[in-house]
Amino acid sequence: MGSHYEAPIREPLVTGNKTYHQISVDVARPIEGAANKQWWIVFGIALILFLWGIVCIIYTISTGIGTWGLNKTVGWAWDITNFVWWVGIGHAGTLISAVLLLFRQKWRMGINRSAEAMTIFSVIQAGLFPIIHMGRPWLAYWIVPIPNTFGSLWVNFNSPLLWDVFAISTYLTVSLVFWWTGLLPDFAMIRDRAVKPFQKKIYSLVSFGWSGRAKDWQRFEEVSLVLAGLATPLVLSVHTIVSFDFATSVIPGWHTTIFPPYFVAGAIFSGFAMVQTLLIVMRKVCNLEDYITVQHIELMNIVIMITGSIVGCAYITELFIAWYSGVEYEQYAFLNRATGPYWWAYWAMMTCNVFSPQFMWVKKLRTSIVFSFVISIVVNIGMWFERFVIIVTSLHRDYLPSSWTMFSPSFVDIGIFLGTIGFFFVLFLLYARTFPVIAQAEVKTILKSSGDNYKKLRDKK
Amino acid sequence: MNKNIKKYWKSEIELTNSSKVESLRNNEFVEKLPVDDVLSDKKSLENSNTNRRDFLKYLGFSTSAAVLASCEGPVHKSVPYVIQPERIRPGISSYYATSMYDGYDCANILVKTREGRPIKIENNKLAKFHGSANARVHASILSMYDSARIQGPIHLGKDISWNDFDAKIIEKLDSLRFSNKPVVLLTNTIVSPTTSKIISSFKEKYPNVTHIQYDSVSESSVLDAHEMMYGVRAIPYYEFDKAKYILSIGADFLGDWLGSNYDGDYAKGRIPIKINGKASMSKHVQIESNLSVTGANADIRIPISSSSQKLFLAHLYKRISSTNIQLPDLDDKLSLKLNQIYNDLISNGNSSLVVCGIDDVHAQILTNSINDLINSKCKSSSRVSLVRQGSNKKVEDLLNKIYNQEISGLIMSGVNPVYTLPNSKLFSDSLQKLDFTVNVSMKMDETTSKCEFIAASSHYLESWADFEFINGEYSICQPTIKTLFDTRQFEECLLKWSGSSESIYNRLKENWTSNILQSNYSWNKALHDGVYSISLNTIGFSNKSININGSLDTLIQDRNEIFELLLYSKIGMGDGQQANNPWLQEFPDPISRVSWDNYLTVSKKDAESLGLKNYNESNGALNSNYAKVILDNLEIKLPVIIQPGQAKGTVGISFGYGRSLGVKSEMKTGSNAFALYRNFSRLQHIKIKPIHEIHEFACVQLHNTLMGRGDIIRETTLEVFNTKNKNFWNPIPVVSKNHIETAVNKKEVNIWEEFDRSIGHHFNLSIDLNACTGCGACVIACHAENNVPVVGKSEIRKSRDMHWLRIDRYYSSDTSFLNDTKNKEDISGLSDSLTVFGEMEDPNENPQVVFQPVMCQHCNQAPCETVCPVAASSHGRQGQNHMAYNRCVGTRYCANNCPYKVRRFNWFLYNNNDEFDFNMNDDLGKMVLNPDVVVRSRGVMEKCSFCIQSTQAVILKAKNQGREVDKNEFNDACACSAACSTGAMSFGDINNEKSEVYKRKKDDRVYHLLEYVGTKPNVFYHTKVRNNDNIKSI
Repeated sequence: MGSHYEAPIREPLVTGNKTYHQISVDVARPIEGAANKQWWIVFGIALILFLWGIVCIIYTISTGIGTWGLNKTVGWAWDITNFVWWVGIGHAGTLISAVLLLFRQKWRMGINRSAEAMTIFSVIQAGLFPIIHMGRPWLAYWIVPIPNTFGSLWVNFNSPLLWDVFAISTYLTVSLVFWWTGLLPDFAMIRDRAVKPFQKKIYSLVSFGWSGRAKDWQRFEEVSLVLAGLATPLVLSVHTIVSFDFATSVIPGWHTTIFPPYFVAGAIFSGFAMVQTLLIVMRKVCNLEDYITVQHIELMNIVIMITGSIVGCAYITELFIAWYSGVEYEQYAFLNRATGPYWWAYWAMMTCNVFSPQFMWVKKLRTSIVFSFVISIVVNIGMWFERFVIIVTSLHRDYLPSSWTMFSPSFVDIGIFLGTIGFFFVLFLLYARTFPVIAQAEVKTILKSSGDNYKKLRDKK
Repeated sequence: MNKNIKKYWKSEIELTNSSKVESLRNNEFVEKLPVDDVLSDKKSLENSNTNRRDFLKYLGFSTSAAVLASCEGPVHKSVPYVIQPERIRPGISSYYATSMYDGYDCANILVKTREGRPIKIENNKLAKFHGSANARVHASILSMYDSARIQGPIHLGKDISWNDFDAKIIEKLDSLRFSNKPVVLLTNTIVSPTTSKIISSFKEKYPNVTHIQYDSVSESSVLDAHEMMYGVRAIPYYEFDKAKYILSIGADFLGDWLGSNYDGDYAKGRIPIKINGKASMSKHVQIESNLSVTGANADIRIPISSSSQKLFLAHLYKRISSTNIQLPDLDDKLSLKLNQIYNDLISNGNSSLVVCGIDDVHAQILTNSINDLINSKCKSSSRVSLVRQGSNKKVEDLLNKIYNQEISGLIMSGVNPVYTLPNSKLFSDSLQKLDFTVNVSMKMDETTSKCEFIAASSHYLESWADFEFINGEYSICQPTIKTLFDTRQFEECLLKWSGSSESIYNRLKENWTSNILQSNYSWNKALHDGVYSISLNTIGFSNKSININGSLDTLIQDRNEIFELLLYSKIGMGDGQQANNPWLQEFPDPISRVSWDNYLTVSKKDAESLGLKNYNESNGALNSNYAKVILDNLEIKLPVIIQPGQAKGTVGISFGYGRSLGVKSEMKTGSNAFALYRNFSRLQHIKIKPIHEIHEFACVQLHNTLMGRGDIIRETTLEVFNTKNKNFWNPIPVVSKNHIETAVNKKEVNIWEEFDRSIGHHFNLSIDLNACTGCGACVIACHAENNVPVVGKSEIRKSRDMHWLRIDRYYSSDTSFLNDTKNKEDISGLSDSLTVFGEMEDPNENPQVVFQPVMCQHCNQAPCETVCPVAASSHGRQGQNHMAYNRCVGTRYCANNCPYKVRRFNWFLYNNNDEFDFNMNDDLGKMVLNPDVVVRSRGVMEKCSFCIQSTQAVILKAKNQGREVDKNEFNDACACSAACSTGAMSFGDINNEKSEVYKRKKDDRVYHLLEYVGTKPNVFYHTKVRNNDNIKSI
């Protein structure tokens, strides 16, 4: 990734009068400096939520799933909603770091580190739910095909839940390796700057002995490409497999062949929204406006707009196919979604996911930081509702009207969800204080081609 | 005698010189131990020292000894049999024929016992009349294992021995006899010939004793009418299987009407079987105010108030008897209906039957007269039912005497008047003023707690008795277990107090051998069979002339009160004797599907005008506001159910709830309707006021209509059934295969590989919707067989009922289900669909009703099996869908993917958990558990298994005996099909061409639930045929 020439009409990706050294200083600042009051407040709140979530999880595991609001008809609700929501959020990181790498989109460099961190942290949240939603989570290892002495018992390879196990664990592993690989030169940079011996020790451990030789860089680039190649299909496969949980079932509203692309689009949609939420705050707090520019925000908004429209298209296709199928149960399932007792959830989803991203057609709005932040929150709410709508409104009124009922969350349902949000932010805030949040090594590669001052210099010539 | 016993010896000395051995044996230590010497020698003791090593040894020893001692396991006080009784083999059930009668329910039953412990009630197929148990009888086994039972005799609140108890009672009785003070023996109806004799001999001993029979829910009007007309105090016996046309005016004969079970006979006439291409079935018209189970099964149901019913009956009598009497006019609609009914009644000749449940002697006289006039062959001329004998007049006389302190002593058995009398305060006050009160009772109930002497009574499964429910039909009740507590049955008490030392068993046997059994008939055979019948010709009916016109006049006196209240009894609770039975409390009412409650049923129109509401909370749970029921100065607060089919201007409340003593706090549900049961009349006139307080119901079905989904309940009318092709009224769903409509059961549609199922057993369950009356006996039988947990009111409210078998009840939204389906098919456009589906959410004011038992459908291509990540749900070689509880990790994916929603998840630990303080949290209550079925732990899924434990036992038994399985053996193994008294359910092996289920599978009416999904269930249903082709004219 050499310093290619970049056309003058392109917006610079690094603003401010940056030098290589300054980038190092800017990136290392949050790690080397002390945490401010806001950080502690936010961290404190996140920690409290996380601990409350742990209390709720312990209560669930010790007492039973009955502490949730589920019933004989609605066997999944917030648990799997949260699971799919968190997995979906994770997708943006991989898309940004892998797919955009392959497509040589340089603007990814300012955001990929945090996006990937978000991926890993949200996949951790997601991974919690399949375990704690089990009636007997202490036997969770039974869903892994380990040779055992229980007799001739083996997992059921027909079950989409089993596919999930493979999909999520593969995803987490590849994302983690990819992320860490990218981190190596940056950790090494921190290590080299570190003055405290303990810090130096830790960073030299985590940077795996990065020496900065040409051979290191060559291998680094090769591995990055290989991993990007590996991770790219995962962007498509993980949420496809998650969608199979529903698509392979027989429940009207679940049994839909459109689910894989629809879920993938939705995942990227919600993931970008979450990246947006996090980075808009982070660029401000960590003074990274020069690296995460309005242009970055605008580009992400465009992705949100496009994927939001794809999702909207999928919603409408679902309705059309339900009508076109002529199957009365399908037709009723979708009629019930839009007009039944959970109509508010459906229209909340529609408003947040389909209507709100359309504002991004307006340049003024998509370059407004405040507006982008608001929309990113709205989109995440909408995407949570999407999963809730798919799961709960399909289940609560399925085939036999005698079993129809409703779902209402208990305080434990809510507590666990808040707990994962807390856990996520605990991880992210710790990350922001200890990890280089910008892929500085990569950013440095484009400084001379895409840096504001260099571009100006070149243009003056 | 000793000489004959072999003597064993250990040594020659013992044999020859036993005295030496004897002396040695008495002295344990042959040599003297120097203990005393050592201990008394202080000096040497002081000299001996314990060094450090010894000290550590002692310390180590004593510590480890203490630790080891504390490791000892719990001591179980079960003692194994020293000599194994020949008949009791571990793991093999024994069955005993017995009978139950508690003054309300009666049945001839088989009791399944395991290791000497009764665990389940089954039907006695040898019995001709009462051989099937209803839900309450099935549940009665749990009432024996009730820790709230009185465990021994009590005098003035203190435990006492039976000897002292008897001595005190005899002393008291003697003193009352000498002073000739009147004593009354108040019992429920006595249908036992032997008990009657015992009572007679008791009365001989104590001439000051009079015996009064008291039924908690009186049938005196029927008895009085019968006595007046025919000279016999009995209940007419109806033979519904002979009826082609049944007109029921307010008679809930499929429910608790007259304590008889008619459903088996009724169902026989309801199954349309084609003979020469034409099927016939009986036609059933029900005129009633509350929606009863019987009304729900009727072809045509006319909801009118009780006063209109009386007038209708009078008009019908007028038409049939062609008398010329003045009657107030019926309204136009009703008189049209009367014409139709009259014509049908006459055209069916003596195959017509009129039954009447109006609690009025005049109405009963008219009904009897109508049946006599049409010469109905369905009213038995030889048999009468004897299960109710109470006379309102006699009981009222007695009550007055008690209130006026004209009697001195009261001995009670099988009654709970403080609970069942409307003026219970007055009664209990008067009771406490009596000189001598005895109650022979199982529970410390409302009455028992007010009595001086409490004789702890045995459960019927611990007792000897005999019954004659129907004249000439005798049955025996034998104990199936030794009394669990220090209890004694009523008859034994009377025998003791009469000074007899005879046991009830001897008395019973003697009475049977000398008076009941024919000379060559063996007592053992009678005991084995449990039933014995003697052939009868006609009973001595003497037709007395009575003034029918007088009856007519009294009948049509109209009262203009605001609401007519008709008290009824629910299938779950009956008269409330078993209120402490959690199975029955959790049993959803077949009509309202509400458990753990009674309520005021109100018609929709009345509810609207009164401002009464039913609504669902955010989790779906049903709520209502309360209504105040005002009868003169009495006010009762009750929650409200808006009941489709309730006649306008009428309301209903069920008996059996609101028990306050002798039941656990969880079971103190509902309100006591007996408080409104004034003058022993189920019909009362009341006022209603709404109260703006919220009541929380535990209702298991929150959506009442079928939403036009005609393929869930296939229906047709008799005419269509007879004239049209099967494909018209029962088509197999089609799917598009290469743009060609192909039936879903075709092989080319199937995407799965199929096993060859033609070898071995392949189980199927057939459910005939025409025969199912919704009685719910199967629900309780399944509960008992499969150790289904009780979860309590608050969990039911959260839609977490655990019943493996449920009976769905649907109301039609239009006047009929066929119209619903048509309305749905006629939808055009989005707005129309919104309107039509919106309307379909609510049931019709007078809906058609249908019952559909749903359990695991055991799909051959089960959606639950593919999705389980750990393969806990898998398919059996014999067609069952298995559930391996131990393997289940509880993802609930299977339950979500089940189109029938029959899978039940253990949300909590339901056994040994104080939060669920029902029978599984109680050492005694746990004795009812079936040892063949595992008690599930928290976090696993469970569901119907087709009673695999029993079907496997049947297969093994046949294998051991080297024979093929009998054609109906499997049917009796499955709890639900074995319990079904109407034959609606038939279970068996479809690879056995002799089996009933094989034959049924060939029927044209067969359909599978949600067949289009392609699950290929092993349960199949039979299309419901309604005999209501001329519904429009009526």
